[in-house]
Amino acid sequence: MRIFVVGLILFVSLMAGFFLGVMAQLGYEDTPFLPGQKWRVHDSKRPQPPAVTPASTLGDPPSDALILFDGKDLSRWRSAWTGGPARWKVENGYMEIVPRTGDIQTVDEFGDCQLHIEWMIPEDVKGSGQGRGNSGIFLMGRYEIQVLDSYENQTYADGMAAAVYGQYPPLVNACRKPGEWQTYDIIWIAPRFEGEKLVRPGYLTLIHNGVVVHYHAPVMGLTRHRRFPTYQPHPPVGPLRLQDHGFRIRFRNIWYRPLKGYDNEPEWRDLTFVLFSDSPRPQSSAK
Amino acid sequence: MAKYGYDDTPFLPNTKWRVHDSNRPQPPVIWPGWFSTQEAPGEPPSDAIILFGGRDLSKWVSVKDGGPAKWKVENGYMEVVPGTGDIRTIEEFGDCQLHIEWAAPAEVRGEGQGRGNSGVFLMGRYEIQVLDCYENLTYADGTTAAIYGQYPPLVNACRKPGEWQVYDIIWIAPRFDENGNLIRPAYVTVFHNGIVVHYHTPLFGPTTHRATLPYQPHPPVGPLRLQDHGDPVRYRNIWYRPLRGYDSEPEWRDWTPIVMAPRG
Repeated sequence: MRIFVVGLILFVSLMAGFFLGVMAQLGYEDTPFLPGQKWRVHDSKRPQPPAVTPASTLGDPPSDALILFDGKDLSRWRSAWTGGPARWKVENGYMEIVPRTGDIQTVDEFGDCQLHIEWMIPEDVKGSGQGRGNSGIFLMGRYEIQVLDSYENQTYADGMAAAVYGQYPPLVNACRKPGEWQTYDIIWIAPRFEGEKLVRPGYLTLIHNGVVVHYHAPVMGLTRHRRFPTYQPHPPVGPLRLQDHGFRIRFRNIWYRPLKGYDNEPEWRDLTFVLFSDSPRPQSSAK
Repeated sequence: MAKYGYDDTPFLPNTKWRVHDSNRPQPPVIWPGWFSTQEAPGEPPSDAIILFGGRDLSKWVSVKDGGPAKWKVENGYMEVVPGTGDIRTIEEFGDCQLHIEWAAPAEVRGEGQGRGNSGVFLMGRYEIQVLDCYENLTYADGTTAAIYGQYPPLVNACRKPGEWQVYDIIWIAPRFDENGNLIRPAYVTVFHNGIVVHYHTPLFGPTTHRATLPYQPHPPVGPLRLQDHGDPVRYRNIWYRPLRGYDSEPEWRDWTPIVMAPRG
């Protein structure tokens, strides 16, 4: 019995020593603390980032993505008008708008995220200006990124493909031809409200076909046509909504990953004010 | 022009543009190019400035002596020749979208920081770590795609050694006033293999080892530097696009104060 206990103690101490040794080897315990943080430079104890497997093809979902449309069915979508089944067509791995069946939205609701979505304007598209291959991607059901055939088709700058509709034109027009699949890679930070007050606007970064067209743009408010945008308080999550604007646009490969903060913090935050505490913090009086 | 938009809509708060303004400048038209695959590098967007297209190091010099870069070029990639030192671009630039692909040696040697170590130094000063962290542990802020010594990546999105990996970086250079005071830190966003690993993260200062350094004033542009850390890491398909502002403004700026200002 005594031998067993001594053996056990020895074993436990060896294991503990081994793990502490391994942890210590990973980094340092004698380095200075990072400004405004609880971590040292190269801190042995700083949490390891979770491992994620990227897809073999760029644009396909990584292992931690939540898939909203995989090309098979609309089980994760419903009509934005009635709440009933989504009535768009699914074939050949894509969904296609059936004009006048109305907008559709995800059952899932989410906030800060990385969102990937692909879309295509059919080759036989007709019309011009806003009347040519028009649809839209509404983040949280409210904030629109324009979908339009802007390949050799002019319209007002804040209404072209990849515009934050009615607010910001894209930095460049990176449209592909009708008939070619286009990608949007979006980083979205939802606006934050305290009661009725906006404390932080929504922020959008958009990469269109691999090209940056918005970088950390503060959204001015709800998307509207011909009126200026204002914020109305809403929950921190909402559905993704796709617009039926009367054109047969196709979508495929739709997924998102919730965007979190460093070191397992539950949400992304702007660290500017942590590092540089004397930076002026913008105050809202927007309604 | 008038037929494209409106001239009777309200002004966007605190800007000179109306909603759907007919006179708002049209964004420049570009061709977006094609994405890379494991087999072949893609094609850069039509407005990109190519730093390494696979043929030669004519746009690069040795950091040590400013002479020719002595890394190896073959089969469309460049490879670190250990001991020849860091290399940097002749070209200097600031705010940008930067694309760079790299592969850790297929033959795995060493562990921790000793496995496939290199680094991408923006403006020659601010490092995004290159390391083989596929089933290889090290301190969190030294992981692949870490802002070295400052922030771990949000996730570890490493591919296996030997496979091509991609960094898509959005870089906002720090700004200093005429007295050398910092008026805005550097910001970085990084996609590693298509996955967001940093989003609009302010840097503490330039990169160093086992310490922190405050910002030192420097010009608004600098070279891209690649590190020789003694491992034969490969790079290919390196290009950047200067990042500008909306409506032909010469540089990106944070619109938050405009959006959050009282609305008249």
